Amino acid sequence: MTLLDIKGVSKRFGGLMALSDVSLQVNKGEIFGLMGANGAGKTTLFSVIAGHIPPTTGEVVFDGKRLAGLSPDRICRLGLCRTFQIVRPFAGLSVAENLRVAALYGRARKLSATEAAQIVDDALDAVGLADRRHLDAGRLTLSGQKRLEIARALATGAQLVMLDEVMAGLNPTEVGTMLDTLRRLRTERDLTFVIVEHVIGALMTLSDRILVLDHGECIAFSTPEEIGRNERVAEVYFG
Amino acid sequence: MRLGSALWIALAGFGAAVPFFGSTYLMGVVFQVAMWIALAQSWSMLSATTGYLSLGHAVFYGVGAYVCVLLTGIIPFEFAILAAAGSAALFAALIGLPVLRVRGPYFVILTYGLSELVRHVVMRIESALGSFGRMIFDVPAQEVLLWWMVGLAVLATLGAYAIRHSRFGAGLAAIREDEVAAQTIGVPVTRLKLLAFIASAAIPGAVGGLALLRTSYFEPAQAFDPVISFTIVTMALVGGTDSVRGPILGAMGFALLSELLWSTLPQLYMIVLGLTLIVFVLFVPRGLSGLVGRIGGAR
Amino acid sequence: MDTLLSGQLLFAALVSGSLYALVALGLNLVYGTLRLLNIAHGDLVMIGAYTAFWMFSLFAVPPLVSLVLAAALCALLGWAVYAGLFRRMLAKPDLAKRVEANSLILFYGISVILQNLTALAFSSTSRGYQYLDTVITWQGISMTGNRLLSLGVAATICFGTLLFLRFHLFGWGLRAVIERREAAQVVGVNLNRVQLLTICGGFAVAGMAGVLVSMTEQITPFMGFPFTIVAFVVIIIGGLGNIGAGILAGFCLGLVETFGIALTSPGYRSILIYGLFVGVLMVRPEGIFTKAVRS
Repeated sequence: MTLLDIKGVSKRFGGLMALSDVSLQVNKGEIFGLMGANGAGKTTLFSVIAGHIPPTTGEVVFDGKRLAGLSPDRICRLGLCRTFQIVRPFAGLSVAENLRVAALYGRARKLSATEAAQIVDDALDAVGLADRRHLDAGRLTLSGQKRLEIARALATGAQLVMLDEVMAGLNPTEVGTMLDTLRRLRTERDLTFVIVEHVIGALMTLSDRILVLDHGECIAFSTPEEIGRNERVAEVYFG
Repeated sequence: MRLGSALWIALAGFGAAVPFFGSTYLMGVVFQVAMWIALAQSWSMLSATTGYLSLGHAVFYGVGAYVCVLLTGIIPFEFAILAAAGSAALFAALIGLPVLRVRGPYFVILTYGLSELVRHVVMRIESALGSFGRMIFDVPAQEVLLWWMVGLAVLATLGAYAIRHSRFGAGLAAIREDEVAAQTIGVPVTRLKLLAFIASAAIPGAVGGLALLRTSYFEPAQAFDPVISFTIVTMALVGGTDSVRGPILGAMGFALLSELLWSTLPQLYMIVLGLTLIVFVLFVPRGLSGLVGRIGGAR
Repeated sequence: MDTLLSGQLLFAALVSGSLYALVALGLNLVYGTLRLLNIAHGDLVMIGAYTAFWMFSLFAVPPLVSLVLAAALCALLGWAVYAGLFRRMLAKPDLAKRVEANSLILFYGISVILQNLTALAFSSTSRGYQYLDTVITWQGISMTGNRLLSLGVAATICFGTLLFLRFHLFGWGLRAVIERREAAQVVGVNLNRVQLLTICGGFAVAGMAGVLVSMTEQITPFMGFPFTIVAFVVIIIGGLGNIGAGILAGFCLGLVETFGIALTSPGYRSILIYGLFVGVLMVRPEGIFTKAVRS
């Protein structure tokens, strides 16, 4: 079943075509990978989907609903949430308080205090931050802040979570832990992920399907094995 | 905390009981303190929670006073006060959307400029009408006004407390920390900011109306005096923006200082005020509230 | 209509415009490099004005000489404020985080102290002196020598500063700091030194503007705040931190104000200025003369 349907999305910034005619479908329960060099348009695509910037042409349909003209907070309450490549924690609030805001505002329904507390505990456990719940978010390590980004997206109750380079800057052990976490979340919570990653190995092992962007254009769209054999991708990536 | 609450209730009770034993002078002091608590507390509903520093709250005070002077004599004063609060809130609702799109230092000076613009427009209107200040006759008794003002101070404090400890307050705190991230996780930032702006405008409107009835004289340059805005901000910040007791402590501290020095040595008072501000910013960043918290060992 | 087209109004507009440009230039330097809301800026104009007044009345020192004196005095004040207060504030992360609130309150404190110290020392009565006030008529335009001098000096300082910033290495460092603080530090700009020199320079410019004001207007300890406001209006129109556009905006404000009042009445002056200010901030907070840059 298609959860996210992107139909011919283009985005132009002045004379620059950041995205040109990108189409893709993400199925429910899938981990969908987005690859591409710096400036390929990955983050722009995220921003268009999440409602931060409007597409020049094309449209995004999520769970049967057209997202055109909706603000990011409305889109989040429909069940689609993104994280940021450069982390944006609520630095002055505690880790738990960061998640509580997400729980209270992330979904269409209003929650009771106990329900919200339950969701916060779940999200903390899911990413292993339970022991740091009272710490100010600004004082977490980078790895901790990356996990907080994911936990906050989870706490909104999103069905589809878009992760923008959550593994960049982590050491190999931390990347391993992150991979386990994401796989577990997918099976335990029936979540769908779209991930952008520079750590290609991680992306290859994790994704069901991968789309490769180059200068705003889709140059390959296939399973990780085939992407690995694709000459054009190799050319773009390894010259 | 329970001891703290009891202390605040006793304080409010003392304020309300002053007319039964206190002098006219003491009543005047209590009226002033209650007024500044109500104003600073209202200001904190927007500015302490979201970090959008308003330097234009005099405009709501002035709008309230203006509406009240136009309505007294036509409707009972209780309704005039409510109308003053309502008009200030309505005014905030009307200007809120474009004003709240502007952030950081721009918001600070925009609110100031807006307040001054309204002041000069009202001055123009009044002089075009040939009025150079309006007198009000038939004002309510002083103790009635005092009770209203103490009531507003209590209401503003309870309101500020309720906002901080609610879902609404959690959303506003997220906006203060990172507006983009807040929106991404579902916080309707525009709506919440507008609601906070309206909430923080209403009580200053009523305060303006009451202050007008007490002086029984309206003059636009005074009613919209930017010094009101500056005083609110300094009281709230020196008091401390981390908790609701901050504005109370700030208002009481300044009122005390001004009673001690203002009438005898106004310039010295202002110099002491300036030095106090500098010392607080550099050495007491959490304000009086933080000091009290450290001494009491509580948060 | 005839008065509108005569050179008389244009001259008046240029005189006030050059003064606005000069006052705003100082504020723009301080805001651009330090991101501090200096609401005490107008009080430096006041200090400059008092310096010129006392030098002239007590020792008959001409304002042109006081220009140097006022600049030095205000620069010294700038050094004291930066070294004593702001370096301390900017060094503490928890204070620097709330830099808007903190700089606003600090400068409010400074402003209140300067005004009231002056009032205590010299009383609040307004003062003035006569200098070069004979009327000269040229091409049908009547002007006084002091206004002509004010225009000349203000324009010279404005354009001199502009040229200095464009061609001297310090100017490059300064512009780098205005545009990209962190990056400027990485490429070897000494942030601390640039900030100190800029705040001294910005204060000095305000002091010199004060000397010019004192030649044509009555002065009081509380004359400063309107100048602060005008300076903010100008740099909002020009775009905060944009030095050249700020100077242009100063002259524009002079023109708009002078001709606006000529078309309506002096009672509309404040409405005009604040209306412009609020309008620009709401519609284009990045300034009218700047190209829109969006990330």
